[in-house]
Amino acid sequence: MAADLLRTLLRRPAGLISATLLCLLYGMALFAPFLSPTIPSAQNLQRTYHPPTALVWQKGHLCVQLYKLIDPSTASYQALPGQATPLSWFSRGTPYKLFGLIPGDRHLFTVSTPDPVYLLGSDATGRDVFTRLLYGAGISLSIGLIGVALTSFLGLTIGGLAGYLGGWTDTLAMRLTEFLMAVPGLYLLLALRAALSSRFPSDATFLLIVVILSALGWAGTARVVRGLVLSLRERPFILASNILGQRPWTILFRHLLPNTFSYLIVAATLSVPGYILGEAALSFLGLGIQEPASSWGLMLGQAQDIKIFMLNFWWLLTPGVAIILTVIAFNLLGDALRDAVDPRFRLPGK
Amino acid sequence: MPGCVPLLLCLIGLVPIACTPKNKETRMDHPLPAGIDTARTEPGRRGGVFIDSTPGEPSTFNPLVSEDATSSGFIGLFLDSLVRNNAVTQEVEPGLATRWDIAPDNKTFTFHLRPGVLWSDGHPFSADDVVFTFQAIYDSRYPNRAAFDLSVDGKKFTIEKIDDLTVRLTTPEIYAPFLETVGGVGLLPKHELESAFRDGSLLKAWNVSVAQKEPHRLLATGAFRLRSYQPAERIVFEANPHYWRADAQGVRLPYVDYLVTKLVKDANASTLAFATGQTDAEGLSPDNVAWIDRYASRYGFSVFNRGPSPNTGFIWFNQNPGHDSSGKPFVPPHKLAWFTDRRFRQAISHGIDRDGLVRGVLFGRGQPLWGPETPANKKWYNPNVTQYPYNPARSRALLAEAGFTIGSDQKLRDRAGNVVEFTLNTNQENQLRANMATAFKENMRDLGITVNLSFLDFGTLVGKIQDSYDYEAGMLGLTGGGDPAGGISVFSSKGRLHQWYPNQKTPATPWEARIDQLMSDQLHTLDYPTRKKYFDEVQKIMSDETPYIYLVTANAYVGLKDRWKNIRIPPLGSLVWNLDELWTPLLTP
Amino acid sequence: MTFFILRRLAALLPMLLAVTLLVFALMSLAPGDFLTPVKAQRDINPALIAELQKSFGLDRPWYEQYALWLGNVLHLDFGYSWTYKVPVAQLIAQRAPATILLSLTSLLLAWILAIPLAVLAAARPGGWIDRLTSAAAYLALAIPEFFLALLAVWMAARTGWFPIGGLTSLDHDFLSPSSQFLDIAYHLILPTLVLGLGGVAGTLRVLRANVLDVLQAEYITAARAKGLTERVVLFRHVLRNALNPLLSTIGYAFAGLLSGSLLVENVMNYPGLGRLVYEAFIREDQFVVLGSVVVGCSLLIVGNLISDLALAWSDPRVRYGR
Repeated sequence: MAADLLRTLLRRPAGLISATLLCLLYGMALFAPFLSPTIPSAQNLQRTYHPPTALVWQKGHLCVQLYKLIDPSTASYQALPGQATPLSWFSRGTPYKLFGLIPGDRHLFTVSTPDPVYLLGSDATGRDVFTRLLYGAGISLSIGLIGVALTSFLGLTIGGLAGYLGGWTDTLAMRLTEFLMAVPGLYLLLALRAALSSRFPSDATFLLIVVILSALGWAGTARVVRGLVLSLRERPFILASNILGQRPWTILFRHLLPNTFSYLIVAATLSVPGYILGEAALSFLGLGIQEPASSWGLMLGQAQDIKIFMLNFWWLLTPGVAIILTVIAFNLLGDALRDAVDPRFRLPGK
Repeated sequence: MPGCVPLLLCLIGLVPIACTPKNKETRMDHPLPAGIDTARTEPGRRGGVFIDSTPGEPSTFNPLVSEDATSSGFIGLFLDSLVRNNAVTQEVEPGLATRWDIAPDNKTFTFHLRPGVLWSDGHPFSADDVVFTFQAIYDSRYPNRAAFDLSVDGKKFTIEKIDDLTVRLTTPEIYAPFLETVGGVGLLPKHELESAFRDGSLLKAWNVSVAQKEPHRLLATGAFRLRSYQPAERIVFEANPHYWRADAQGVRLPYVDYLVTKLVKDANASTLAFATGQTDAEGLSPDNVAWIDRYASRYGFSVFNRGPSPNTGFIWFNQNPGHDSSGKPFVPPHKLAWFTDRRFRQAISHGIDRDGLVRGVLFGRGQPLWGPETPANKKWYNPNVTQYPYNPARSRALLAEAGFTIGSDQKLRDRAGNVVEFTLNTNQENQLRANMATAFKENMRDLGITVNLSFLDFGTLVGKIQDSYDYEAGMLGLTGGGDPAGGISVFSSKGRLHQWYPNQKTPATPWEARIDQLMSDQLHTLDYPTRKKYFDEVQKIMSDETPYIYLVTANAYVGLKDRWKNIRIPPLGSLVWNLDELWTPLLTP
Repeated sequence: MTFFILRRLAALLPMLLAVTLLVFALMSLAPGDFLTPVKAQRDINPALIAELQKSFGLDRPWYEQYALWLGNVLHLDFGYSWTYKVPVAQLIAQRAPATILLSLTSLLLAWILAIPLAVLAAARPGGWIDRLTSAAAYLALAIPEFFLALLAVWMAARTGWFPIGGLTSLDHDFLSPSSQFLDIAYHLILPTLVLGLGGVAGTLRVLRANVLDVLQAEYITAARAKGLTERVVLFRHVLRNALNPLLSTIGYAFAGLLSGSLLVENVMNYPGLGRLVYEAFIREDQFVVLGSVVVGCSLLIVGNLISDLALAWSDPRVRYGR
């Protein structure tokens, strides 16, 4: 069934494009240490707010244009005509751990020190924006996936049990979801984050945010799953299983829940952007991911500084473009998936 | 069709709005008081509106409640004190008192009030108002900050009314910053606030709600009185028709008719308002100077360098030998041994590239800092403190002397073989500080020291520093400047902000004991040279022992529209401290 | 139906109790309190801090503080703001109008733009209008609100075409009433555009789908068969029926009336409730936070109720559930 779905999906242009784009983005996030020329914390105080370095073709090599700092007080740089340094491919550089496990020190491209390569410019302390964007992708993108996995799991279990068991389980679960849906989300988010942050080290804030976002988000899924289970329960094949004497758990997990999967997949895909935007908003406010880790929202939050606008450091806004691209891709994929699953299928409004 | 309204609005909105004043108001001119104070500046012309902006919001207009600089700044505009501090000369000048006598015991001060001064409602100002103010401050029903500033070792000053224009204040001990402290106390109108004082609601008087609904109830002796307050939008002050200063030609000050303060969200928005020509004056951070300069000719302003700011930034190590309730030491013993070793701290100090910090983080607009006061505090700064220029070789030598060794893995180890590694805590809200922390980490890597950075909420950080003490190193800043008495909580070992080891019962080291003695001595003499000598020594000890490793201080910049005359830019504090004397030949902004 | 409404409103009370308790507990778990910044000042006496703590009740355990607050609420006293020394209700009432104004203008913008566009797009599915609007809707839904707000501030700063932040000009007090009105309208343009854009896209997508649905209905075929022009069919018959389900969104808009613009208000320097609430959270000004939570929660529940009622009114097949 999954293969069928995939085939139908990829036959649609929107589905194909968005799926490719997402694969690309996640690939980049996964292989960030290898793809980036340096590490996200490496800074160079002599080269703050460096503009993106141009790539030129010189003497049969792809080279990086060199720049001179002409005015440190405005961070203005000028290209040095004719001076460029060749990119070296697959060379050794700063050691890293791929997937957090495999040690390595090969980078796709680097330049010989001290010349910098800033594909997307540098930030306030001369860190490479391109590198930070790639590493930040790891956090921003995985927050969506982990969050959706958590909510789907919670929603499926609680909604499924409530719908199938009924009685006081149902009442309790529904009161809980009503409660969660009646809480002004942003306020609870602010309060939760304030209460929990000091109990986590700063690099675990990442997990904290996912947990907060999913703890608030599962109620909607649970209610829909419950509704689906309620209607499925009366279907002949379930009644037949009941008569055949299958145990309730088997019926729930073998027959009822698998039938809600198509809904779940579509709903999950369409709710990933919510997590990505949620993390970005929190980090933007300075309440999410903390330095020295990087995430797209955090990078945008740091770009709020007025001098960045007035001095035209536009490259610091690229994380915003990355967020937009990702969200569009997920929305397109979700719509395409929905059409592939059932063109008449309508999700409840957000 | 109601739906069309916003569209229409959008269209109309694109057309610049013609702003025509409803009615032109003329200023009332009351007769000048007998005790008029004549400004010594060049006489100017009346009229005009001075516009500035401030980040944040006043939380109150009641001086007994005010805890923040924003509120206090606004209160200072309409409430005057017995004396005023000249921001440029840092000397005390007459305010609502024309002169004062100091008795030979150096504890009794007799103030002679300015005759004929009226509150902005026309009621005469007298000694009763002064006595009432001190009564209110010392009343235990109203806990407030001034009550503590106006006492020595927990003992209050006594105040008595001699006659309608004379009051006498007596301090229980000799109290060095007496005049400066009294200069900060805005005098309250007895006839307006006495009923609130009696029924216990004084702290709720003059709150932001009153300011909005009945602005004229906030009676003024200062140059301005409140005209209107629109939360999150603006505060408008107008010239106080009963102000007690005039110029040489007998024209009552202030020259400007209105003082409008735009209330904005943060420093960013404030800077932007100035850079786009909307406001007349603004303090600028060094990283913004360059681009703002580009707009100078378009909007007719200039940017001035005030020199080093009074703000200090520093790193310190937790030297607290105590332990928490479960018996676990705040700092692991082997690390405590490093942190309490002066050579270790000095080595760290030599390892910091302060010039690099200035260049990279402050855009070259700042200077290295070696002691607790910056040159901005002209009156108290000691230039002869020990300096620790960037010198990794010296650092390594000091570390070797203290028994540290560098292994083949380029990591520093102590005698027992522990790798030297610590976590530096700082608050995340301050971007420049965060940049400095990352730069510090890189500097330390060159010495083989691993620094982990932890960025915390300000609240969490303060909790660690002041309550739970479970941290290794911290990075913060303090606003310096002002009288040494303000630094007692930092320098004396009993102090709350003696961050490396606060609230000590007895001083842990001989040099801390010496500082305690000096801080106490300087407080109990009125003689400036003696006080300066004591405080110089405090600064010297602080730099020798480096419990705080000072980093850099940014230069302070101010932008100001060229149309203003009589500007005198002080090294410290508000740029337009003499607002009453400012005037402009160009009335339209 | 009265019973239905009463039952829903009665559910409000335990909900408010639970939510405020939760938020209060969480806030007391957070490190530091309202006095933390005061403690960090270098020239403040510890005895004063202790006295302030006592006067705020911060020296008691949190459940006692909460019980005290609850007792006062029963007398309709929502407490004082520690920052401003003003009753919370008064403070919220001061700031709310600006936020309500912004919510209304952006809602209006959403409807005015979305309704004609949706009808035109659905009239020719796959046509260029349809493609263009749906592409634009994808984009609009993907731009984080705060990022758009950031870009808007940037644009305003660089061009000078629009005021940066605020709701009125500095000389507002001196303007004639008509100029004052225009002044406010001028200041509202950018925040309205930023906040309304997402609404436009969302409404557009829902409405387009509704119109497509209605177009399939038999009575539309009948109307066409009667020889009515396409425009009359679209705008008189189709639109009216397609709008019905959208009525329910009014309730959701109501729910977000006061909290929906928190981010935009903060980035764009807009003098509304969002800034007040956010600052109160950051400063841990407890009673302001609790007051805004009560307001936000009530609006959400009442808003959902309105949605349900609107839906039931517009579609007789929906019955009031028990």
